[in-house]
Amino acid sequence: MAAVTTTAQAAAIHHDTHAGHDNYAAQLRMNRLGLWLFFISEAFLFGGLLSVRFFLWGADTRPELDQTIGLIVTSVLLISSISMRLAETAMERGNRRMFSIFILLTALFGTIFLGGVMVFEWGLFPSIYQGHLTPWDNKYGAVVFAMTGMHALHVISGIVFILIVWNLARKGSFSAERHWGVESCAIYWHYVDVVWIFFYPALYLIGNAVHIAAH
Amino acid sequence: MLKQSGYGIVIVIGLVLAALTVVELFMAINHVGAGLLMLVAALKAILVIYFFMHVSRLWTAEGEH
Repeated sequence: MAAVTTTAQAAAIHHDTHAGHDNYAAQLRMNRLGLWLFFISEAFLFGGLLSVRFFLWGADTRPELDQTIGLIVTSVLLISSISMRLAETAMERGNRRMFSIFILLTALFGTIFLGGVMVFEWGLFPSIYQGHLTPWDNKYGAVVFAMTGMHALHVISGIVFILIVWNLARKGSFSAERHWGVESCAIYWHYVDVVWIFFYPALYLIGNAVHIAAH
Repeated sequence: MLKQSGYGIVIVIGLVLAALTVVELFMAINHVGAGLLMLVAALKAILVIYFFMHVSRLWTAEGEH
């Protein structure tokens, strides 16, 4: 009798575990779909900004921005995307130490990108670098600040997201089998990178540079 | 499968993205039109969306953890 009960209990546990896995898999699919729907809604925002750039500047003008700074901040964001993917791969393999190293590197690269934009494009610290654009003087400054400002807002939220995920991982909230938090954070960061992939040529490369006098 | 080979493919895709960024810069120096520049940008975006953002997981069970 006891043996029969034990077998029945084992079958029930197996059934519950299987059902739990199915529920998690279904929830994961819905989470992914929800995140991508959010990205589509965000694409309208960034697409709108890109349209404004081409409407106001046309395809043959752009402000005179520092090409070296543009290439450096773009490279830093690209490297941050690679380190984020490496962090996710480390978590998939259960390597927590490498995960922590790569995700913190991603946050560091994101901060460097943000600093580069704030110091060299916005000219927030004139003692370090004297910027020549302001958001209110002309169409060039207005569009540069609107595009980089909205993007920077997403970089800041991405860095906060990264630090939250890193802290949760440190407390053991994720495993190699279950780490939606890590995956969503990584996908969000890559999305921020995808936006910059389009913003970089739109701001720095397309059209002939128009010199704007510093005020 | 290519995508599952781990760290190696991430580095390869990173190098391709870096190379395409340099191509963009040279195209701009040579005054190539906006359309072609945005096309290269779209190619870079597709690489990131496919290899880094796992878009294919939306319609496959791959990566269900």
